[in-house]
Amino acid sequence: MDQRTGMVNPLLEVRQLAVAFGKSAEQYEVIRNVSFRVEAGRTLSIVGESGSGKSVTSLAILGLIRQAGGRVTQGEIIYSPSGGLLAQDLLKSDEQHLRTIRGSRIAMIFQEPMSSLNPVHTCGQQVAEALMLHKGLGRKAAMAEVVDVFRKVRLPDPEKLISRYPHELSGGQKQRVMIALAISCKPDLLIADEPTTALDVTVQASILELLRELQAETGMGMIFITHDLGVVKHIADDVLVMYRGNPVEQGKVDDVFNNPQHPYTRGLLACRPSINLEKPKLPVMSDFLDDVANPVEVMNSEKVLRSETQTRPQITQVDDAVFSVRELSVAYAGRKSSLFSPKPFFKAVDGISFDVYRGETLGLVGESGCGKTTLGRCMLGLVQAASGSIRFEGSDLLKMESKQIRDFRKRVQLVFQDPYSSLNPRLTVGQAILEPMEVHGLHGNDANRKKKLNWLLERVGLRPEWQHRYPHQFSGGQRQRICIARALAVDPAFLICDESVSALDVSVQAQVLNLLNELKSDLGLTYVFISHDMSVVRYMSDRIMVMNKGRIEEIGEARQVCDEPVSSYTKALIDAIPD
Amino acid sequence: MIRFFFSRLVSGLLVVAGVVVVVFLLFNVLPGDPARMVLGQRADLASVEVINRELGRDLPLASQFVLYVNDLSPVSVLNVVDSTSRVYADSGKYGSWLTVTYIGEHAVVLKYPFLRRSYQTRENVGAMLMDALPGTIVLSVSALLFAAIFGIGLGILSALYKGKVADRFILFLSVTGMSVPSFFAGILVAWLFGYVMNDWTGLEMTGSLTEIDPFDGSRYKWSNLILPTLTLGIRPLSVIVQLTRSSLLEVMAQDYIRTARAKGLSEWAVIFGHALQNALNPVLTAISGWFGSLLAGAVFIEYVFGWKGVGKLTVDALEMYDFPVVMGSVLMVSVFFVLINMAVDMLYARLDPRVKME
Repeated sequence: MDQRTGMVNPLLEVRQLAVAFGKSAEQYEVIRNVSFRVEAGRTLSIVGESGSGKSVTSLAILGLIRQAGGRVTQGEIIYSPSGGLLAQDLLKSDEQHLRTIRGSRIAMIFQEPMSSLNPVHTCGQQVAEALMLHKGLGRKAAMAEVVDVFRKVRLPDPEKLISRYPHELSGGQKQRVMIALAISCKPDLLIADEPTTALDVTVQASILELLRELQAETGMGMIFITHDLGVVKHIADDVLVMYRGNPVEQGKVDDVFNNPQHPYTRGLLACRPSINLEKPKLPVMSDFLDDVANPVEVMNSEKVLRSETQTRPQITQVDDAVFSVRELSVAYAGRKSSLFSPKPFFKAVDGISFDVYRGETLGLVGESGCGKTTLGRCMLGLVQAASGSIRFEGSDLLKMESKQIRDFRKRVQLVFQDPYSSLNPRLTVGQAILEPMEVHGLHGNDANRKKKLNWLLERVGLRPEWQHRYPHQFSGGQRQRICIARALAVDPAFLICDESVSALDVSVQAQVLNLLNELKSDLGLTYVFISHDMSVVRYMSDRIMVMNKGRIEEIGEARQVCDEPVSSYTKALIDAIPD
Repeated sequence: MIRFFFSRLVSGLLVVAGVVVVVFLLFNVLPGDPARMVLGQRADLASVEVINRELGRDLPLASQFVLYVNDLSPVSVLNVVDSTSRVYADSGKYGSWLTVTYIGEHAVVLKYPFLRRSYQTRENVGAMLMDALPGTIVLSVSALLFAAIFGIGLGILSALYKGKVADRFILFLSVTGMSVPSFFAGILVAWLFGYVMNDWTGLEMTGSLTEIDPFDGSRYKWSNLILPTLTLGIRPLSVIVQLTRSSLLEVMAQDYIRTARAKGLSEWAVIFGHALQNALNPVLTAISGWFGSLLAGAVFIEYVFGWKGVGKLTVDALEMYDFPVVMGSVLMVSVFFVLINMAVDMLYARLDPRVKME
């Protein structure tokens, strides 16, 4: 009880929290004035894009901000434990006391299930460790408890799983192990930091379901951190929207969604392509907010906005197939089970036939491991096909001479997923874009190539004078623009975009998607757009091809595949999207 | 696991075979007349020819190589009847053997590798190496233990106090340790601890593991081990410090360390329960590499401290152009390298379950 007001304290109350990084002289605040409360049995969602300070907030609650290199400069974090114990300010507690709370009273799930588990310990050990620490159980008793918890998070075959290593599990299973770890000591508060971002959409749906059930069962409070507004609507009771370290809007989830007050929230809601709506062009953040993080991005997006014709490019000739793929199979060799048994093959792509028509965007969607990336690589000749044929403008890719292949490479280009790792950090942007032109000996001489470089940079919305900068000086969205410029350097007719916007924030994603569409109509390009995100594919594509386990589940007009899916797999995929 | 072991074994044997070829060619194209070295400069032509025939120098190079390999190989063909044959089963040369089967005059046998005889002493090279080996192994193992224990310990300290005075001091020491040449460090250490501070330390400047006592005969003198161990261990220690430090720092930034902390584990438990095992793989590689080269390369240290070991034996043999001894020690060292690398690969698989047994 709070003596002054006589009201029951919330489970956790954060008041005026500020966190700074860097040495005292040149310290910079990454969050400021953050205040919120979490009630038992309710879920607060903290929403924001990268750099908004949402993860920093959660680490500050756990008292782990020092290890991340930061420092709380101001504020209070009042934690009122269940069972009527005295409220306490976590920021004033010593490390020893915090350790009894961490993992026991307040537990956390992290974003990356792939890397959040220690690779050299078994899953059972890692969960048992927490139980032994906080509940004083012996090894045997702890392991027995782990089996129970694993069953509770619905991991298959828990008795066997406790002796498995993390790398032997799928991503969804690993996240379930993380959840088991977090709930093993029955915490009052669970902090989930982007727990489903790295997972497939159907897996995400099941994990969200599980979290909700666990909450209903235990009555724990939950802080759910995410950038995905669809997920928020699905799971949260209250929302806190953060933007560059500042809380900009706070309220009940329905109020915020139906009547967003702050322009940033409005922008965030609008930027995301939706599976149900068809917009000619995605709004970008600058439509809503004048003070966008990067003034450069604003300049571009505005330019894009003004020059945009409000119609989407239509397919001109449907019978003109650029690519025609027939009975294509790609197989990877597996491990032999014994010395004399034949080598097993895993068919990543299994007898696929389809056409890509000139001027269209073919969306390729499916969950991880469905073979969509392998198929994309194979169409570029980067992966050997086991059987079948790929015809590009009439000639068979699999039978091309090396000279023809070089010519083909000029016509078909790839835009990768991760703009951070697909640019050589030692090459300036100019060098990176000039390189493919030099390799193919385009445009006669250096002066012409430079001219082309300037044109390309301008075309993708970057300043030509930036060509001497290095990739690390650019933001994620700008880097993806550079990657696009590099792909366009050889005047291709065909672009394969492999998860090209998956690593980007929604507001940046919207800009890049708009850019891709604009380039397509201006330069007459044809796209194969590969993504796991049905909404993005729906927005981008004329036709959609759904893949599952190396086969085509469904192929057809975007509208028809999304609104009236024939295959049950497609239906499940669409149903799993939290909207 | 077994298949993994055999694949490593096969590639190891290939390496050894390659070394045999290179060693043989190298020492057979070098100038010098072995017969003269055996007999001295004043020997008559007839004796020289006898020796040349005994060494097989009158045969073409290819036949010499076949004979050499036959002598080396544990599985070989020996003539059991004709005592003038070049592969006559002479127990003076081959020691004891196990006959597998007879083919006419010849027998296929299992035997110890015969590394030929020293030009100088006419002693069996294998026996000479076996005599020197314990000294070298004791020295390198103790140097490596010293380096590993202190190196990993200091490396952890350094990582934990990153940027603090302790860290800077340890880094300074390790950079110094890496940059001092071992022959110089050897002389310095021997002079400082064995001569200047002799009253305090009671250590000798030179000496081997065994020494001859006029009354008791041969006996061990372990205190002689201290100074060479220290000298030999400095460089690996310095490298291990830096490797442990950087590898641990890298691991400490991993997501699973954050998970371990969020569990409420103490910093101590996080480091020793979660970080160290992940951080030690690169350190292990370095240690194994050093072990091989310590076995081979304790040459200077053994020389400076007068330590009886393979290194000293090799240097002495080189000075005398005693090629069989040099060839023998090179071969032995390469076999050691292969064995150590195999052991490390197996250890990797134990430390890190992700290392697939491909």
